Amino acid sequence: MAEDVPLIPREDVESYARARLAEGYDYFVYCAAAHYPASDTGVDRVLVEYRVRRLPKDMLAFRVEVPTGETTPSLVGVWAGADWQEREQYDLVGVVFAGHPDLRRIMLPEDWEGHPLRRDYAIETRHPPWR
Amino acid sequence: MAMNEDKERFEHPVYSVLEQVPGGGVGLTTVDRLLTWGVTNALWLFPMATSCCGIEFMATACSRFDLDRIGTIARGSPRQCDVMVVAGTITVKMAPRVKRLWDEMPEPKWVIAMGSCAISGDFYRDIYSVVPGVDTFLPVDVYVPGCPPNPEQLLMGLHRLKEKIERRRRGEWVERDPAPVAAGLRVPFPRIGDPDREPDMDAEQLAAAMAIGKHNG
Repeated sequence: MAEDVPLIPREDVESYARARLAEGYDYFVYCAAAHYPASDTGVDRVLVEYRVRRLPKDMLAFRVEVPTGETTPSLVGVWAGADWQEREQYDLVGVVFAGHPDLRRIMLPEDWEGHPLRRDYAIETRHPPWR
Repeated sequence: MAMNEDKERFEHPVYSVLEQVPGGGVGLTTVDRLLTWGVTNALWLFPMATSCCGIEFMATACSRFDLDRIGTIARGSPRQCDVMVVAGTITVKMAPRVKRLWDEMPEPKWVIAMGSCAISGDFYRDIYSVVPGVDTFLPVDVYVPGCPPNPEQLLMGLHRLKEKIERRRRGEWVERDPAPVAAGLRVPFPRIGDPDREPDMDAEQLAAAMAIGKHNG
């Protein structure tokens, strides 16, 4: 990583976010996630990256590490803009955000099985065009 | 998804009236020709434009190529349209919506698959969320190849559709257009849990997926 992005422990992320909001970071830019399998670093985990802004110039990023099977606190209570972004990460990567008010799939059909951006998702799985 | 092939056999009510009138059969051919002439010169398009093919569609409707001069107008409501132009990639989530819009269009109606994505899915074909060609759930009449097709190609597709309608009314074109060769080249891949699936395949795929994007972060 060219940029030094701090890794925040999961239990501290909500207080960390509130502190950043108090500093004036009130514009939520995005929340992204990537899955790293156990063969990569020994832990099957998902890295979630948040990016917020203090208009007009300041930008801030921080990451949360979520091992598979665990949850991470939702930041919707801090930045309302995180709502759909966290739903997207749940939909595609399978991160469960604890305390999210409406954690449903947002892009794929509601009856979809699995989270397609995870490494252990079979890429060439055929789906019928009609679900 | 079963398609209703009989829907192609739409009959205008004027035919049944003429058949009951004594001597009315004489006028059938003339009325038939008149109605077909009317249909082919007022093909209103429903632009099912989801991606870049929609831009070429817009270019075709604009002044340089001017769809209006052949009686073809793009309308925003499926209830006013005769031809659905599927211009762009259709995803698995979009497909039921497209099908529903198609069902809302009044008879008689036709489909033009515009561009490689609508025809076969093209290189998005293997993506988990993309429908491999709209002919999997719509009865496509004319395929307009290209990525995206030129406005001229879309115009040619429209003229081909006109020709097809005319010749079909005369009974000279009864068979359906075959799907392009490329659509049949890929063998269907057995899904997870399919008995045809080889036992080693899961492990191989997993290993291949794990090898992608090794990261030190």
